[in-house]
Amino acid sequence: MQGRGWHIWVRRGLFALLTLFVLAGLFNAFGQRPSTARAASPEAELQITAPTRVRGGLLWQARFTIHAVTELKQATLVLGQGWLENNTINTIEPSPVGEASRNGSLSLDLGHVPAGERHVLYVQFQTNPANVAHRTTDVQLQDGEKLLLSVHRTLTVFP
Amino acid sequence: MDVVIRAALMYCFLLFLTRVVGRRELSTLEPFDLILLIVLGDLIQQGVTQSDYSFTGLMLAAGTIAVMQTSVSWIGYRSPKKAGLVLEGEPIVIVQDGKCLERNTKRERIREEEVLEAARKNGIGSLDEIEWGILETSGEMTFIQKSQ
Repeated sequence: MQGRGWHIWVRRGLFALLTLFVLAGLFNAFGQRPSTARAASPEAELQITAPTRVRGGLLWQARFTIHAVTELKQATLVLGQGWLENNTINTIEPSPVGEASRNGSLSLDLGHVPAGERHVLYVQFQTNPANVAHRTTDVQLQDGEKLLLSVHRTLTVFP
Repeated sequence: MDVVIRAALMYCFLLFLTRVVGRRELSTLEPFDLILLIVLGDLIQQGVTQSDYSFTGLMLAAGTIAVMQTSVSWIGYRSPKKAGLVLEGEPIVIVQDGKCLERNTKRERIREEEVLEAARKNGIGSLDEIEWGILETSGEMTFIQKSQ
């Protein structure tokens, strides 16, 4: 055993690394605790609550809360491509009035939102397992074709 | 985050379970016990990883169990009287001077035939030859023979 005294320190070092990894997981380094992003314009406010880090197979929710300061005749949420790439949408509630592709992004027509009211949209996702990526998940709020505000977000998918 | 919490809770629950079930059940592995273990493993997996199919999730769950096991082992080593008693229990005398201690064997749900069987496995023919019979914390029975 002489000359192998350092072996125990290697093992302890590796154990410390493992503990750090677990602690990083506990403090949400690898998902999936949701975070909230907000943006506001004179016409409306948008709040997005969704995880920015997920792992393959996880079920997770994105909540979009629109607060109309002035009347929105045709509130439209435009979700960047990163929301849909290798993420299965299980359901969208309440169902949008219409859906379309807008320059590669998903456009959800939410209809009329009177001034002072809130519209909350829930989207349930599941991340496909064979999917490792860091993607942009920007969101735009429009009234018809008029851009009201935009939020920049990213989504990291761990292997 | 939650996979670490679930794995930690699962570890605590399993620790509680092993202490509640009793050491005899843990030391024997009858066919039914084997099936129960497989079922238990499947239930644990569902509760800990849930819909998580990721390698990161696997490392977090397995890492949490490893960290907790090492921590519990270290606590038991540092404080054998207090923590060790709670985590592992203490050896129980089941035979004294050739006689089964009914109070202790009843507590651990051990029949005299089982004690005799364990004694035979140790090359001891009858209870009369035993000075001390101990049920160790592992669930194994050990015997000290009377001096000739």
